[in-house]
This record gives sequence, C-alpha cells and structure tokens, in this order.
Amino acid sequence: MEPFYQSELKDIRNKLTMMGEKCIEVVRISMQSVENNDTELATKVRKMDDAIDELEVTIDNDCVRYLTLRSPVASDVRFLILAMRACHDFERIGDEATTIAKRVLHLNKRFPSTDHHHILKIDKLVLEQLDAAMHSFIHNDTKEALAVPKKDREIDRLNKENYKYFLQKAGEPDLEVNTYFDFIFISKALERIGDHATNIAEEVVYYIEGEDIRHTDIAKRAE
Amino acid sequence: MTTSKPSRNPNTVQPVGENFVWLTAMGLAAGIIMVIGMILLIFWKGVTVFWPKEVVLVELVEDSEAGLNGVTTFAGAIVDEREKLSRDPVTDAYKDEYSFFIGNKEVYGQMYYYIDVDQVARMEKPADIMVAERMEYGNAIFYPQALTLANGEVIPADTDAFNTVLQKRLEVVRDRRSAITQLEKKAIGRINHQLEDIRLEKLRLKREHGSDAADHPNMQQLLTREAQLEAEYKELDAASSALRELQQAETLTYQLVTGEERTLALGALVDVFKPNTMSFTDKVAFFIVHVWRFVSENPREANTEGGIFPAIFGTFAMTLLMSAIVMPFGVLAAIYLREYATQGPFVQSIRIAINNLAGVPSIVYGVFGLGFFVYVLGGSIDELFFPIMAEQGTPVFGTGGILWAAFTLALMTVPVVVVATEEALAAVPRGAREASLACGASKWQTIQRIVMPASSSGIITGLILAMARGAGEVAPLMLVGVIKLAPDLPIDLEPPFIHLDRKFMHLGFHIYDLGFQSPNSEAAKPMVFATTFLLIMLVIVLNLGAILIRDRLRRKYASGTF
Amino acid sequence: MSATVTMDSTNYTQSTDNAKKAVDGADHSPAPSAAHDTFIQIKDDFGFWYGESQVLHDLNFNIPKQRVTAFIGPSGCGKSTLLRCFNRMNDLIDGVRHQGDIVINSHSIFDRQLEVISLRKRVGMVFQKYNPFPKTIYENVVYSLRVAGRNKKSQLDEVVEASLRSAALWDEVKDRLHTSALGLSGGQMQRLCIARAIANKPEVLLMDEPCSALDPIATGKIEELIHDLKEQFTIVIVTHNMQQAARVSDRTAFFYLGKLIEYDKTETIFMNPKMKQTEDYVSGRFG
Repeated sequence: MEPFYQSELKDIRNKLTMMGEKCIEVVRISMQSVENNDTELATKVRKMDDAIDELEVTIDNDCVRYLTLRSPVASDVRFLILAMRACHDFERIGDEATTIAKRVLHLNKRFPSTDHHHILKIDKLVLEQLDAAMHSFIHNDTKEALAVPKKDREIDRLNKENYKYFLQKAGEPDLEVNTYFDFIFISKALERIGDHATNIAEEVVYYIEGEDIRHTDIAKRAE
Repeated sequence: MTTSKPSRNPNTVQPVGENFVWLTAMGLAAGIIMVIGMILLIFWKGVTVFWPKEVVLVELVEDSEAGLNGVTTFAGAIVDEREKLSRDPVTDAYKDEYSFFIGNKEVYGQMYYYIDVDQVARMEKPADIMVAERMEYGNAIFYPQALTLANGEVIPADTDAFNTVLQKRLEVVRDRRSAITQLEKKAIGRINHQLEDIRLEKLRLKREHGSDAADHPNMQQLLTREAQLEAEYKELDAASSALRELQQAETLTYQLVTGEERTLALGALVDVFKPNTMSFTDKVAFFIVHVWRFVSENPREANTEGGIFPAIFGTFAMTLLMSAIVMPFGVLAAIYLREYATQGPFVQSIRIAINNLAGVPSIVYGVFGLGFFVYVLGGSIDELFFPIMAEQGTPVFGTGGILWAAFTLALMTVPVVVVATEEALAAVPRGAREASLACGASKWQTIQRIVMPASSSGIITGLILAMARGAGEVAPLMLVGVIKLAPDLPIDLEPPFIHLDRKFMHLGFHIYDLGFQSPNSEAAKPMVFATTFLLIMLVIVLNLGAILIRDRLRRKYASGTF
Repeated sequence: MSATVTMDSTNYTQSTDNAKKAVDGADHSPAPSAAHDTFIQIKDDFGFWYGESQVLHDLNFNIPKQRVTAFIGPSGCGKSTLLRCFNRMNDLIDGVRHQGDIVINSHSIFDRQLEVISLRKRVGMVFQKYNPFPKTIYENVVYSLRVAGRNKKSQLDEVVEASLRSAALWDEVKDRLHTSALGLSGGQMQRLCIARAIANKPEVLLMDEPCSALDPIATGKIEELIHDLKEQFTIVIVTHNMQQAARVSDRTAFFYLGKLIEYDKTETIFMNPKMKQTEDYVSGRFG
C-alpha cells in the first residue's frame, strides 16, 4: 500500500532521470562541436546547461521538502541522498560541458584544428561511463555501477597521454600554442566529467546497497 | 501475592496472602452449603408428603393404657419415630415414641396418634388394608368390604373384579365432579353475576327516579331479563342437583381396624389405594399424580388438603403486576436523577432518601398501603365510580386487592430499581454519549437510543432484585389484599378478564396461615414444607427468566460490564 | 417561539473580503490565498475559561475551506479545547465561558438563536478513542440521519454505501452491514466512526487525535483517507504526532499554553518556522 505522497518521490526520480539524460545529451553535443568545430552546437550547449541548472535547484528543493514533511526512512532516505548528491554532480557535468563549448568557440575564432589525439576516445569512454551510471540507477544494477570506478583509470591514463602530447605539440615552433592549450583544457574537462560519472555510480551503489564505497579500495580504482 | 517470604525450608516458598484466599473460599463454601442444605431439607420434608406410606397394623402390649377408643389394635402409617420431649416420670429418661397417622378423623377425632415405642408389641403390614382420599375429613384407613353400584349390584371386596370396577367408578366420579364444578362455577356463576348486575341497576334506577322508577322503560326490561335468568338458573340448578345425586348413588362399605363399620358414597372419594401392595413403579406414578394435583388444584379442608394452585397463580400475578408498576417509575426516576438533574446537595439528599427507603420495615409499607392506597385512593375511586357498591357495604377498590398489593410492594422495591438503574446508567462510557451528541442527537435521543440499550442489562438486574424481594414479602400483603381462601382468581376468562379489585391468595401468606393458624398443625406441617419449596422454586423461575433476558441483552449491547 | 437559525450550506456566501483580514496574536499569519476562502473564523480575541482558569488566550485566525488544518502543540496547550469549541461539545462541561466569537460559514456559532443540534449536524467530529455504538454497522452509519428524522430505507442505503466508500471501508464490510460494529478491528472501527461523522454531509470535519489509538498500518489508511476527504470537507485535525501533521495538513497552527504562536503553511512551519518556539517544538527540543 503506497501512501498518497509516494508520487512526490516518483516525481523526483523522473526529474533526476531527465537531468541525467540532459547531461548525456549536453556532453555528446559538446563533443560533436569539438569534432566538427561547430560553433552553432557550442552555443546550444550553453542553453542546455541553463536547463540543467534549473533542474538542480528544483530537485534540491523537492528533496528538502520531502525530507522535512514526509520523514522518510531506509531506501527512501538513501534515494533522496543520491538525488541531492547526483544532481550536484550533474550540474558540475553541465558546467564542464559548457567549458568545453567555450573552448571550442575560442578555438574556432582563430585557430581551429583537428589534431584531437585521444580526445574523441576519451569522450567515447566518458559517454559510456555516464550511460552506465544512468543505466545502473534506472535498473538498480549494482554490478554495472561498480564497474564504473574501475574504468575511470583508463580515462585518467588517456588524459595523461593527451597532456604529454599537447604540451609537446604546444612547444613546436610552427604550431599555434593556444590551440593546444585549449585542447588540454578540453581533455581535462572530459576527465573531470568522468570523475563525476564515477561519483554518481558510487552514489547509486550507496542507494541500492546502503554501503558507502567512497574512498574505499573499489573506488580508488585500485587494481 | 507476588512477593514471597523466606521460610525455614529454602525449598518451600509460601506466597503472602494465601491464607486469605483460603478464608474467603471457606466463607463462600459455607454459604453455598447452607443454602443447598436448606433447600434440600425443605425439599425432603415437603416431598415425602406425596410418597405413599405403607400402613402398619399395630398391636399394643397387653394391659396397655394407650389405645384407640379402648381397642389395643389399630392401623396407621408411621410418620415419625423420635425422642419424647419430656422425661419419663418413671424411669427419668427420654423415651422414644412413634407418631402414627391414623386418619378417619370423623371417627377418632384426631388424625395423628402417639405411642411409646415400648408399648408396641407387634407391627405387621396387611396386604388388604386400603387408604382412601376423601373430599372431607381427610384420609381414611380401613378394610374394604363391598361396593354397591347404582343398579343395586353388590361386589364384595375379596373378588377380583372389585379393584377394577372401583377404579373405573372412581374415574367416572371424578369426571362428574369436574362437570359439577364447571356447571356451578362457570354457568351458574355467570348467571349470578348477571343477576347481581341487574340488582344494582334496579337500585340505581330507584335512587335516580325514586317512586317513579317502576314506570321507567328500562325497569321493565330489567324485570324481564331477571325472570329469564332466574328460569335459566333453575334449569342449571336442577341439572347440577341431578349430577350430585348421581354422585351419591354408589357406595363403598368398609370396616375400620378398630372395628367400626362405615358406608361412604363414591362421590365423596378422590382416590383409593392399597399402599402395602404397590410396587415401586406404582408408587412413583402415585407420587407424580399427587404432585401434579398439588400444583394444579384448589385447596380443601381449610387449606390443609388439596392443591395450592390459586396461591401459586396469585403470587405470580401479583409479582408481575408489581414489576409492571415499579419498572417505569424506578427507571424514569433514575434517568432524571442521573441525566437531567443538576448534581448538587439537593439531588444527593434525594438519592440518600431513596436508598434509606430500602431499609424501612415492610410492615410499615403495609400500613401505608392500607391508609393511603386502600382508604384514600380506593375510597375516592369507589365514591366516583362505584357509589352503590360502596353504600351497600361491599367496597370495590376501597378494600384490599391485588392492585393495591402490587402498588404497595412496588413502593417497597422502588429503591432497588432506582439504585440499579443509576449504576447501569453511570457505567455507560462517556465516549458513546459524546459520539451520539456529536452526531447531532438531542439529549433525550441519546438517552433513548444509546444509553438505555447499553444499560438495559443493569436495569434488568434491578428488576431481578425487585422481584426477588417482592415475591417473598408477606407482612405488608396481609393488610392490603391477601386472603386465606379466595373464591376466584384475579385473572380469569370473565370480562374484563383482569380483576384488579379482587383479593388473592399468596404462597407466602399460605405458609404463615398453614403453619400458625390451622387447626391441626401436625397435618399442616408437610404442606408448609411443600409450599415453601414451591415458593422458592417460583422465585427461582422468575429470576431465571429475567437472567436469560439479561444475558441476551448483555450479548447484544456488549459494551460495559454491568 | 423564537426563530432558530440553522446552518445550511445554501446560506454559504463567498466571503473573500473576510479572508483578507487575518491577524493573529503574533501577526505572522498571511491571509489564506484567495483561491481558498475562509470557512472558519476565530476572532475578537477569542478566549476560553474552565471556571476560573483561562485555557485559550486572544486567538484570531482563519481556517480555509476544503483544506486540512492541523493544530499542534504540547499537552495542555488548549488545542483539543479549541477543537471542541467548534461544535460546542464544551457545553457539556459545567462552568465554562468564552469571550470573542467563532464564525463558521458566516454564522456565529454562539448565536443565541442557533440550535446546538443543528450546528453539530454541520460540524462532525471523530474522537481519539474510536467509539462505535453497540449496534450494527449499518445502524452506526445512519445514526445521524435517523436522529434527524430521515428514515426512508432507500435514502439510508445510498448514504451507507457512499459514506463507507468515502471512508475506504465499503469493500471490507459490504457483506456484513447488519452485523455488530464491535466485531471490527480498531482501524476499521475508527474508519466506521469517520463514515458515521460524514454520513450527514457536514461541512466541517473535526478530528481529535484520530490515529493515536491505532497501529501504523491503520494510521496510514486513515491519513490516506484524510487526504481524499479534504476535497469534500474542511478538516481540522489535532495531533500529537508532528510527522503526521507534516504529512497530511496544508496549514499548521502551533499552540503553546493557550496562545497561538505561529500559524502558516505546513511547509513553512516545518522547513523554515519564523518563531524560535515553533522551531524548538518541531525539532523536539522542547524542555
């Protein structure tokens, strides 16, 4: 038997899912704008980030209200904790995507380039991570959630390689320095998005299992 | 009882207070034993009356000074063997004596005879000896000699046919007797009533019209009707006389053990039996028949013989009437005191006064009933409605009757009903009342629909207590309506069916009358016990009825624990 | 015979102007929104005395129509007393007096010409300890109609089904309407009492700690019921259980020692109360 306010909880869940989907979408578009040096797409990213920010405020308010007025316990409380933390992570992801878009605009003003090295690879991985985190949340799949922190190492490695490569390229005399610094920032932003996806996966594990795996061996991506 | 004292032996622990449990249990047991013992004693003493006793032929020792009419042989049923009340002057010891029932009151002058045990030489039980229940003078003990029928045929006692024919003729006699009663009481009685009405009507006309009364048209009607009725009366009277003659037509001749010979018409006999030849089943059948006769017939022989049906009926009717009067008064008074009156010192003093009413001696109620109900109220009713009767010296309501008796006892039992009802009303939980009021009911609706049904079992408890008290009181009744021998029942088939002005018989009064005012107290003793037992049974039946009703109500309105 | 005023729903008039003026002692209550008009007005510094001692002080606030308003506060703060004033159940106690006024549906309930019985038909009450009558379920529900003189069987049958359905009890008892009501469980009995209270279609439903004698599942069912009923009735509920007040009510009034400390939307009272006393009470810091 469900109490009459159960719909409020469902509502929050729907909003969170929507926020997640918007995030995935914004990351993909920002990557497309990088790939194709598309300034129109870059502008679109900023607008989408506004929507994501609104959702963060809404979800936060709803969670506080539910916590105050409905005295939830057990998995309901853990869900609300997940929602409140995850919406912050999503908001940060949106901000990072905006950073990427800004960098694209900056690039395209004077010195576009297609020397992306591993950026697109990282992007693919990052999107996979986000998908996995959302999937594990929607389907309550702990295994899938636990796989996310492990894959983060690969993203970190790729990012390090990017850094080395772009730094070296920036040093070469006949190439534009700014381009490669922009690329470094874009790579870093992607790596951060990956970290946020990992956080979200950890929060999902907390919600499903009641176990806080932050900063444990699983999470430290030790192998 | 949960703490335990350490005792010498560490293995035994005696809970504190166990002694008091034992004490209270003993108290209860003592009470129950006393009650059951009393009922059994009454039952036994009363019931032995109906069991046919064997008759012994007693031969006294030679030169015995004791003897009936000089004869030293007689027959009797042993009633008792006991120690004499006074010391023997010769031996200075308490001797034993027999108490015999010898019957034949018209011959011997007494029905019981006492003989010292040592005066008795021999006792034997002759098979032929016969005991007869008679309409007058009680039982007779004799040797039957012959039966003379209406057609002159004589059947001697030693023939086989004697017993069968005798029993058959006795049945006929009994049937005819009830036919005579029907005729005389009902038919002739009705005519008498109508004649009485006509007489009163004539008186009334004479009073209203003085000397012109004779010319009044109604007067002619009355005279014709009177003549008609007188003619009917003559017819019925003749029929009744004819039947009575038939009753006298057949006779039984017999000889007493002491030698006297007698002849008795069959119409004077109720029943005959040979006690020494009856088998156990015969005796049981006899017992049942006599118990039935006891509770269903009218009394004979100054209440020492026959049945006590009118007393049973009178007690029952009066108790019901009293309950019908006391319940509305008591319940309504209690409702007012508890629900409507503002609680304060005045209401509290009324409550105390009502409770104290329960302590007033019942004879005082009798005097009050006589003075107020009978003389003041009854007198006023007579003045208003029955002036002629009152003048004639036969007051209708101005004298004791079942109505005034019921009122007097109702007054006596009102405190019980009021207290029980008040307790029951107070036990109804506040929640039920509040809920009813919150639904928009008025105070009276709440009382009527919620409070009264919920307290109904407590109210019935009050009724039970009232009936138990009222059915047993005798003293006040003697002043306001009970009579030794009532000609009619207070409720019968004559309109207006319920005669509130009639006097009635009562079991309690019957016991008093039998025990202390009858000419032959020995004869009455068994009747007293039997009547007492019956009174107890009647009260138990009334109470059981009320308890069953209360249980049903309690189950229906389960809330509350009263 | 003096004319008696009875409260009838046909007399109800839109009184949004009254609604604009809601001033309580601490002056913290905004007027109810125009979309939900005032239905009960406590005004003129309403005060209440049991004999010599004053139990309610200077109350002025409004209760909106078709909403759930909760009264909370520690024991003895007067919330039950105020609730019982609304249907004048306090009249049953000797030595009570009041000052000020309470207006329900534009009629003062203390009007001398008003029959208390008709007031109680418009304002129903559910008590803390469920108290069904020792009658059948059917008779319990139709009690208020019978005492009002309506005995037509077809009418009563309709009302019984409607009320029991509204009280979420119909499916459980429809096959045993004519058995004793005392055979039901505690939660069912309380729902029966609610059905009884709403049978006559009152305008206001007063509930005095209706769930305090029930287990959590029964309590949940009743809270669900309250949520459904507020579409039809104006509900005022007194409760000791703050979480319950937070769950079911739209507006909450916090009382302390007979005074109204704060009265606002429930969200505000629990998430961001304006008075420190309120904050202390709802967070359990009360001495």
